[in-house]
Amino acid sequence: MTRKHSVNRPPTPDGAEDQGNEPILQEIINIKLIESGEKERLMEMLRERLIECGWKDEMKALCRAYVKKKGRNNVTVDDLVHLITPKGRASVPDSVKAELLQRIRSFLTSAAL
Amino acid sequence: MCARNSIYTTPKPCKHLADYKLRHGFNTYYSIRNCLKTTPNGRTRVAKHTTKIPRCSFCDRYQGRLYFCLMCSSLWCPTHILLHTQSEKGHEVAIDMDRSELYCCLCCDQVYDPDFDKVVVCNQVKDLPGGSKSKTNGFEACGERSSKRKRLDSGIGLDLKKSKLLVSMRDRRAKSCYPLGLRGLNNLGSTCFMNSVLQALLHAPPLRNYFLNDRHNSIQCRKRSGEKLCLLCDIDAISSAMFSGDRTPYTPAHFLYSWWQHSSNLASYEEQDAHEFFISVLDGIHETESKIRNSGKDDGDCQCIAHRAFSGLLRSDVTCISCGFTSTTYDPCVDISLNMDTSNLSSSNANKPIKPDEKTGASTLSGCLNFFTRAERLGSDQKLHCQNCQELRDSSKQLSIRRLPLVLCLHIKRVEHSLVRKISRKINQYMQFPFSLDMTPYLSSSIVRSKFGNRIFTFEYDNSNSSAAYEIFAVIAHSGMLESGHYVTYLRLKNQWYKCDDAWISEVDEGIVRASQCYMLFYVQKLLYNEAIEDSSFVHISPRRDPFDSTAGCS
Repeated sequence: MTRKHSVNRPPTPDGAEDQGNEPILQEIINIKLIESGEKERLMEMLRERLIECGWKDEMKALCRAYVKKKGRNNVTVDDLVHLITPKGRASVPDSVKAELLQRIRSFLTSAAL
Repeated sequence: MCARNSIYTTPKPCKHLADYKLRHGFNTYYSIRNCLKTTPNGRTRVAKHTTKIPRCSFCDRYQGRLYFCLMCSSLWCPTHILLHTQSEKGHEVAIDMDRSELYCCLCCDQVYDPDFDKVVVCNQVKDLPGGSKSKTNGFEACGERSSKRKRLDSGIGLDLKKSKLLVSMRDRRAKSCYPLGLRGLNNLGSTCFMNSVLQALLHAPPLRNYFLNDRHNSIQCRKRSGEKLCLLCDIDAISSAMFSGDRTPYTPAHFLYSWWQHSSNLASYEEQDAHEFFISVLDGIHETESKIRNSGKDDGDCQCIAHRAFSGLLRSDVTCISCGFTSTTYDPCVDISLNMDTSNLSSSNANKPIKPDEKTGASTLSGCLNFFTRAERLGSDQKLHCQNCQELRDSSKQLSIRRLPLVLCLHIKRVEHSLVRKISRKINQYMQFPFSLDMTPYLSSSIVRSKFGNRIFTFEYDNSNSSAAYEIFAVIAHSGMLESGHYVTYLRLKNQWYKCDDAWISEVDEGIVRASQCYMLFYVQKLLYNEAIEDSSFVHISPRRDPFDSTAGCS
């Protein structure tokens, strides 16, 4: 599995893109994560870390500034998501990414994939 | 049905949601009730598909947000949900699977419905261990507003019959036209800690009014108790001296002696801690009044002037991480001691994302209050016994304020203990504080509410906003080191700040106060503050209820 820097990561996929009919490795891993309930635990841990390091507050501040600029009634959830997704992805601390990767790795070894 | 709360005003439903509700009422809400699953930390998801992974019906996507159509239970990603609404008439409202929040497909935006939130929250409460049976989660009746609203009454207001009429007295002997009640206190040997606290206490509106109203009459007191020392009589004497109009510095020797009798462990000429002294004085007042009234009431209901002014109620929620069971306890308090939020300002930036435009190195009062009310994950060496799991579990603890006092004293802990080096150090870090403070985000209603996610929901004891607005009236600032320092008090009278440095009183600019190193902050409820500044040169006569009625409280 090649490691990619977040800077070189391809843009956020839209959804209706190149999804072949055979499940690719990513999908298999994801399915295993969900089925075992590990994904939920990882999500919880991730949420905690992102709150701890102030990432959530930053995103909130960005959203607030945007809403203030545009006016409360002219903003939808989708607007906000599109606004903060690139910035959010870029500003996740490396330590959080490392921890998450480590957890996934140990899960994979334990699930013997 | 839902109370209006200025922070959480209920947004109007979009017309699509309104139409939908007209057609279907709550049927669909109830039908998904069984599909809702709550995690121990309070998040509710829609979990209908226990075997399959939820995927968008159009593009098979399983990542990101997915919406669950309330009419036909089909799943869609945000990009394709519009297709569904366009092809099926009437399928306009969906629910975000991860968060259990409503989404209107035609408006392409989140919408809010108190009825929906009520269903979700009731479900959450039911699911949490002990939720339906016990009251520990604080929802006695889901969504029902208590008819007992919190009344904001000073209660310690001014009484027609007993008030001393102080006609406008401007002491013409004094060179300056300082407001009445401002007078220096002589230092009797490292007693600046005492002087600073006395200045703040005597200018706290409830106490100021109490003594000016002759609520503690020395003559009657001496008749009752003989020649015994009475702390209240001494404070009354100081108060009379402060408001006499005489501007020469006053020597509170008798009070010092009385206090030494009360707190013999602190009786020395050494420098003491102002906060410790503050607690000790309140305690002394309480004891004195308890003796007079022969009542042994505990702090919660006590009617002594110290508790009426300063007593509040803190709520502590301890949640088991594994199952979500929460045990709640309430403790009365006369002040709140805050740790400084220096953890956010640690020098290492390795783990932090780059903050675009935030000032680093600034500690703020709201930061400290946030830190105080944060959900704290207790370490694995502090496992607590969970009643539901019946064993020791990792838990998280969160504090919040159940009932705010009339006068809010915030104590900033500026001492750092190093266990390694076995020394204590003073934290000189500057802390920014506001003159007007809104305590709403730190109330139990706000903190507990946030555990349930993004809901429009009225809590049984939602306080009206007006009683959470505070104005500052005194700041005790400390300068110097732990062992040898100096306390001064800044008082705000009629929107002008005065510095009380032992015997020396001077007018200062508010900038000086803002820049000072605050140690104790005194805020009073805004309504009382406005009353107090209306005219402080003579006492207001307003038709009020008998001040001996119990003060505001949720009871």
